[in-house]
Amino acid sequence: MSHPLRSSFHRKLTAAFLAVGVLPLLICVVLMLNVFQLFLARSTEDTAAAQLSAVTEDMGKLLSSCEDVLEQLGRHDRILQALDGAGQDSQSVYSALYAVASPLLREADFSLYDAQGHLLYTTAAASARADLSTAWGLLAAAGASPGVVYRDVPSFSGTASACMQAARAVRDRGKLSGYAVASLNTGHFRRLLEGKYGAGSDILILDPFWDEVYTSPTLQDKTLAPALRERLLSGQALAAGGENQLYHVAREEVSGFYVILRQPKPVADWVMRLLYLITALSILLCLGLCLAVSMAFSRQLFRPIRSLNSAMAAVEGGDLDVRVEVPGTDEMSQLAGRFNRMTERLKTNLTDSIRQQQELGNAQIRMMQAQLNPHFLYNTLDTLKWMGKIHHVPEVATISADLADILRRSISADEFVRLEDELRLLERYVEIQKIRFAGKFEFRAAMDEDLLDILVPKLMLQPLVENAIIHGFEDGMPGEITVTAARAGDDLLLTVQDNGCGMSPESLRRFQEQTPPAGRHLGLHNVDAILRLNYGQERGLKFLPPPGGRGTCIRISIPITRQGGRES
Amino acid sequence: MKTLRIAALCALLFLLPACGAARRDSQTASFAPDEASRLTVYTSHKEEVYGPIVKEFEERTGVWVQVVTGGTNELLERIAAEAESPVCDVMFGGGVESLLAYAGYFEPYTCSSAASLKQGLRPEGDTWTPFSSLPVVLIYNTKLVSPGEVTGWADLLDPLWRGKIAFAAPTVSGSSYTAAITMLSCLPGDDWDVIGRFVENLNGSILQDSGDVVSVVSVGSRYIGVTLEETALKRQAQGADIAIVYPEEGTSNLPDGAALIDGAPHRENAMAFLEFTQSEDVQSLVVNDFARRSVRVDVADRDTLPPESELHIIDYDVAWASGIKEEFLRRWTELCGEAGT
Repeated sequence: MSHPLRSSFHRKLTAAFLAVGVLPLLICVVLMLNVFQLFLARSTEDTAAAQLSAVTEDMGKLLSSCEDVLEQLGRHDRILQALDGAGQDSQSVYSALYAVASPLLREADFSLYDAQGHLLYTTAAASARADLSTAWGLLAAAGASPGVVYRDVPSFSGTASACMQAARAVRDRGKLSGYAVASLNTGHFRRLLEGKYGAGSDILILDPFWDEVYTSPTLQDKTLAPALRERLLSGQALAAGGENQLYHVAREEVSGFYVILRQPKPVADWVMRLLYLITALSILLCLGLCLAVSMAFSRQLFRPIRSLNSAMAAVEGGDLDVRVEVPGTDEMSQLAGRFNRMTERLKTNLTDSIRQQQELGNAQIRMMQAQLNPHFLYNTLDTLKWMGKIHHVPEVATISADLADILRRSISADEFVRLEDELRLLERYVEIQKIRFAGKFEFRAAMDEDLLDILVPKLMLQPLVENAIIHGFEDGMPGEITVTAARAGDDLLLTVQDNGCGMSPESLRRFQEQTPPAGRHLGLHNVDAILRLNYGQERGLKFLPPPGGRGTCIRISIPITRQGGRES
Repeated sequence: MKTLRIAALCALLFLLPACGAARRDSQTASFAPDEASRLTVYTSHKEEVYGPIVKEFEERTGVWVQVVTGGTNELLERIAAEAESPVCDVMFGGGVESLLAYAGYFEPYTCSSAASLKQGLRPEGDTWTPFSSLPVVLIYNTKLVSPGEVTGWADLLDPLWRGKIAFAAPTVSGSSYTAAITMLSCLPGDDWDVIGRFVENLNGSILQDSGDVVSVVSVGSRYIGVTLEETALKRQAQGADIAIVYPEEGTSNLPDGAALIDGAPHRENAMAFLEFTQSEDVQSLVVNDFARRSVRVDVADRDTLPPESELHIIDYDVAWASGIKEEFLRRWTELCGEAGT
C-alpha cells in the first residue's frame, strides 16, 4: 500500500505547510473562543447569582417584616375588639392599623377581615376592596394554619391589583375572630425590585407551583411563566432552543416562592455563530494560502530536480546531448553542473571507443588484405628455389626455401608459438644471414628438450639476433651469437648474447628511457613493447652485463606457458 | 493512541462552555416535583373554571397539575389515541354524551360523595364523575321581545319568529344537539315533522358556533335563542340585554363531568382530584362563581335562580339520543339543504 504522502515530495511539503500553518491557528482560535465564552458566561453567571441572592434576601426581609406586622395586628387589643364586633369607632381602629403597619406602609397593603371574610379595614386604596371567601383560597388556608400563609393572587380571580397575599388568622383566646392580610401589588414589587437587577434582565416571581405572581414591567410576555412551568415539568432546560436568554432560579425561603432572573446571554448565539463563521473563513483562507505557497515553493524547489530527473531519463534512453540548465550556484546548480560534465565525459568516452572500434576493424581488414599475397610469394620463392637448384646456385635455393619458410611462419595467425618453432624460424633466418655475411659470425642455440614446447610470443628472438648481426659485428670482427633457454622457477629465461661491439651507451640510455626509436634498434623496441603488453610492464627486455665484458647480453623472462593451458 | 488523546483534548476544548449551562440546568431541575406529586389534566373548560379549581387543588395537596386544554372531542380522541400508554390522568369537562361515547377509556371511580348526588345525575357504574348540571334554556333580547311573549319550545315553531331564532348547528355543537333532542322530547307530535317545521322556521340561517347564540341575541340581530343556562347567566352578568326563559314544556339538565383515565400514570392524585371536583368547596364555587348548578343535594343553587324542581326536568334518554344521532344529523343536513342554506 502506498501512502499518499509518500508518493511525492510536493504532497509532503503541502502537508507540512498545513500542519504548521493551520493546526496551531485552529487550536488557538478554538481555545480563545471557548475561553472567551467561558469567561463571559462565568462573569454573567456570577452577576446573576449576586443579583438573585440580593433580590431573594430583600424579599425575605420584607416578608419577615410583614409577618411581624401581621402578628402585631393579631395581638392588638383595639383590633381584636373591632374584629369581635365590639363597637369601636372606625378612626381608632384605623389609627391602630396604621400605627402597627407604619414601617411598611409603602412596601405593602394591610387589611383586616372578619371571620366571615368581609373586609373591614384596609390601608389599600378603595378600588382594591373585596371580600374573600373563608372556605376557599387564602383565608381558608390561613384559618387552617397557625402561622402566615402566602398565596399567589391568580389573574383569573379578578381581585384588584394584588399579586401576592400573606394572611394570618387572628385568634382571640383560641377562637377565630378574623384575618390579618398583607397584600403586595405590582407597585410594591416594582419598588422592592427596583435597581436590583441589571438593565436588559427581567425578574419573574412565581409561586411554589410556578404560577406567575409578578413579572418585571419590561417583560410583556404573559406566556413566559406557563412556558417555563411546562419546561420545568417536562424536564427540559428553561431556555428554549435558540433562545438568547439565561435563566437563574432561586427559592425565597420565607414564602417558598421562586424568583427567576432572566438575563440575555452575554454573547448571543448569532454572535457566536458569526465568530465561528469568521474563524472558519480565516482558517479556509489560511488553508488556501498554505496550499498556494507550498505549491509555489515546491515548484521552485523541485523544478531543477524535475529537469535533472528528465535529463537523466533522456540519458538513460541514449541521448547524450542533453544538458541541464545551471541557473545559479546553489546545491542544485552544482548538481546540474556535475551532471553536465558527466554526460560530456560519457560522450567523449563513447566517441573514443567507437573510433577505436573502427580502427580495429580497419586493421583487421588490412591484415586480411595482407594475407591475400602469400601464395603468390610462396610460388615465386619455390620457383626461385628450383631455378637455383637447376642452375646449381645452391645459395639461391637455400635462401628461397628459408625465406618461404620464414614467410609462412611469420604470417600465420598465431600470436604465440612453441619455443621449438621459434627456434626453427631463427635457424632459417640465421642460415640466410650466414650466406649474406659469410664467416662473420657463429650461431649457437642451447636449449633443453623439455623447454621446447613452451609457448613464447612469435618472432621474439629473430629481432634480437638480427640486432646482434647487424649492429654487433659492424667492425668486421668475427663473432659469436648464443641463444640459451633456461628455467628459473616458474619463468623461462631466454638469453641472446653476442660478443660484438655492444650497444652504445647512448642507445642503451635511450632504450631504457623508452623514447621512441629513431631508426636504429627498432626491432628491440618492438620486442620490448610486445613483452610489456603481454606480460606486464616489468617484463621488458633486460640488458645484462655481457660475460667477458664485450658484446651484448639480452634477457627475456616470461612465465612458462604450454600448449593447452597454463602450467607452471 | 496519540490521535485519541488529541481528539479527546479537542472535544474537551469544545465542551468547556457547556459545563456551566449543564450545572445550572441540573440545579433548576431539582425544583421540579417528583412523579408522586404530579397530575395531568385534560380539560375542555375555560380557564376561569379550571383555573381556581386547579390552583386550590395544588395548594391543598401540593400536587403539581399540568393542564392541557382543548375541545371536548379533540381531547377525548387524544385520550383514545394514547390508550396504549396514557399521558392524561383526568379528563375534566365534556357533556355526558361525549363522556359516555368514550367510556371504554375510563376507569370507574366512585366518589365518597356519590350518595349526595342529585337524583338522576349519578352515572351507571360510576364510569365518570358529574361536575355540574346544565339546563337548556331559551333566551330573548329584552329590547325586542317583551316578557311573556316567549314561553316555551312551541314558540320555536311559531312562524312569528321565523328567521329570528339563534340556533347553532347540531352537526357542529354537542350542546345544540342536546337542545334539539330536548325540544323533540318536550313537544308532542312526530319528531321528524317537528324538526322539519323547526328548520323551516330557522329560515336557513343556522349559526356555526354555539357561543354565538348569546352574542347575536344580545346585539339584536336575532330575537330569541337556544343555549345553556350557564352561558346565558354569564353573559347576563356581563350586562348583555338578554332574559332567560325556562320552557314551560320542561327541559333537560345534562351534567358535565370528569373521568379517571384507565391506566392513568398518577392514579392516586387523579382520584384525589375527582373527589375535589365533587367536594362541597368546589361545588359552592360552581354555584357562586360559575353560574352553574351543583350536582350535590347539599349544595344549594343560587337564590336568584328558580329551583330545579320548578324546571320540569325531563328524563333525557342519553342512549336513545346517541342511537338516533346519525339519522338525525342526516335528516337535518337534508332539511337544511332543502331550505337552501
